Amino acid sequence: MVTKNAWQSFAPLFALLFAYQGDLVSKLILGGSAVAIALVTGSVLSWLFFRYQIRDDSILIRSGVIKKKQLDIKFDRIQGVNTQQNPVYRALGLVTVSFDTAGSSGNEGNLPAVTRKFADELREKIGGRKTNRAEDEPAANVNQALLRLDWRDMIRIGLADRRALIVFAFIGPLMEQAGDQVEQVVKNALQSANLESFQVDVGTGALLVAALLLVVVLLLSMVSIAAAFLRYHNFELFLDGRTLRSRGGLITRHEHSMDIEKIQTIRLQQGVVQSWLGCFRMTLRQAISGRKQRSQKMFTVPVVTAELADTLRPLLLASESGRLTQDPTADLFHAVSPYYMRSRILFVGLLPAVALTTLLVAAFGITGLIALLWLPLVALLSWRNWKRAGYLHDDNEIIRRSGLLGYRTVGLLFRKVQRITISQSRYQRRKDLASLRLYMASGSVRIPYIAHETAKQLRDYILYKVESSQRAWH
Amino acid sequence: MFQNPEIEPADLPGTDNVQWQALDPAFKRLRQLQNSIGILAIVVPLVIVTVVANLPLLAVAILFGCWVAFAALLLTWPGISLPKRGYVLRDKDILFRKGVVWRSVTAIPFNRIQHVETSSTPFDRKFDLATLQLFTAGGSGGDLKIDGLGATIAEQLRVFILEKAGASIEIS
Repeated sequence: MVTKNAWQSFAPLFALLFAYQGDLVSKLILGGSAVAIALVTGSVLSWLFFRYQIRDDSILIRSGVIKKKQLDIKFDRIQGVNTQQNPVYRALGLVTVSFDTAGSSGNEGNLPAVTRKFADELREKIGGRKTNRAEDEPAANVNQALLRLDWRDMIRIGLADRRALIVFAFIGPLMEQAGDQVEQVVKNALQSANLESFQVDVGTGALLVAALLLVVVLLLSMVSIAAAFLRYHNFELFLDGRTLRSRGGLITRHEHSMDIEKIQTIRLQQGVVQSWLGCFRMTLRQAISGRKQRSQKMFTVPVVTAELADTLRPLLLASESGRLTQDPTADLFHAVSPYYMRSRILFVGLLPAVALTTLLVAAFGITGLIALLWLPLVALLSWRNWKRAGYLHDDNEIIRRSGLLGYRTVGLLFRKVQRITISQSRYQRRKDLASLRLYMASGSVRIPYIAHETAKQLRDYILYKVESSQRAWH
Repeated sequence: MFQNPEIEPADLPGTDNVQWQALDPAFKRLRQLQNSIGILAIVVPLVIVTVVANLPLLAVAILFGCWVAFAALLLTWPGISLPKRGYVLRDKDILFRKGVVWRSVTAIPFNRIQHVETSSTPFDRKFDLATLQLFTAGGSGGDLKIDGLGATIAEQLRVFILEKAGASIEIS
């Protein structure tokens, strides 16, 4: 329980040390013991002033030595109870409990250093109130994990980490320069060694640069794989009654929980690397809370196959639905109209390309024709995007598929829709097409370029589902 | 007795035969007034630039030609776009349509409405108009904003919708 901003409060101490006349060793000893004393007193003080009280329907937390803070969290507003465990806590059997609340994000409470047993009891108490409302409680099989990730999955997570690619994109241009310098160094070394028979030609240089690039890529992958181990080691997923829980982490154990009633959309998505590996990242989204911060509570399963996701879906949707597949390669998906691709080729590809070409040709002569390359590029991307767009629905839910490099599928229950918009551009009106946008509490899902009649039927059916639903959407 | 009759998709209430309610006719005049103020606000710097920079006649002609075309568009646009707007109040939801080139129809079920707001600017009050905003979960700002309603109608709508939204909360 070290107070934040500790370094700032030590500033006078450093000043004192600087002024103190003496050799380095005594300075270090003096400084070290002073810091230790300050840390211990700080911890003891904040421990002394930390008080909490569990009431029937809320938890009261009082903290702060000088600046007092009091927090009252109603159980009704708690959306999830998460715990974290660092190595010291693990040795002592303690956890830090944090609460996800609906509402302002500044109002979130922590209970540091409570026993695991207490945390479980607290969770049960908070969860118990919830389950009293939902009458039909399926038998809890707590100890049976829905999903376990092993070391191979850690490698998948690490390789798919997009941050590694971003770092690489920044380093890439620098690499070239570094390569030149390395070449120079090698050349000098060789010359000084008087090995004139050995020629450093362009080929060797390129080879060196390539080798260097490979080393950097390998290093970055290693780092992100290590990060994956750190965060997700021994990741396990449980369904405990109506609460979904995950647990994982190498040094600090993270534990997350989410009420499955609160799931708004189920999303499977993959980037390029993930599409090579044939896996997805699964996110379960909750309502956006707070109009300004737009903070969103998400529950993430870092790596999952399409088959596994399909077996999880009925559990997550509480057997309300989930018979559909969210596997993007399934051939059950309805395609959207090819005009989705044609309109893009026309308005984003052809018209700008023609305009730009005429402009450039007028300015630079024949080299301006290079702007015509824009058209095939747009055409290729639009075709790919159209091929990957699609939707699939039954009486209770709809799944939308999209993507460019990888795939993305989003599934949602009709009865949780908040509002619906059908929109038509002039072009779409001529072809009798429309785009349907379903607004959820977690964001919107758009199904582009379907027949106007189909869009209206879907809209009317969804409205009927929403308006006849007696159940809470959250 | 629990009943769960089957619903044929064709029997669902559609939106093809609904009676769209128009906005208040005063709203068109208000928009035209606001746009004319904007047009006049532009002409002042335009004249100053012309005088100070001592522009050639051709440039002045082009500048003012553009201004006249722009002014004509701004003055006729409310007459074109506002008749395309309209709303329908149904038993369980509200529909709102708008758009000339890009048309859209939005539907909000009453049992998803979180709160309702009416507001009016000083201009609105001069013309006895008000804006109705409906909020649902997860959206940012007004999820559905209907401006140019008569002040009394806006207030009636607010009370009606709030009642409907409240009734649905009590059931669930």
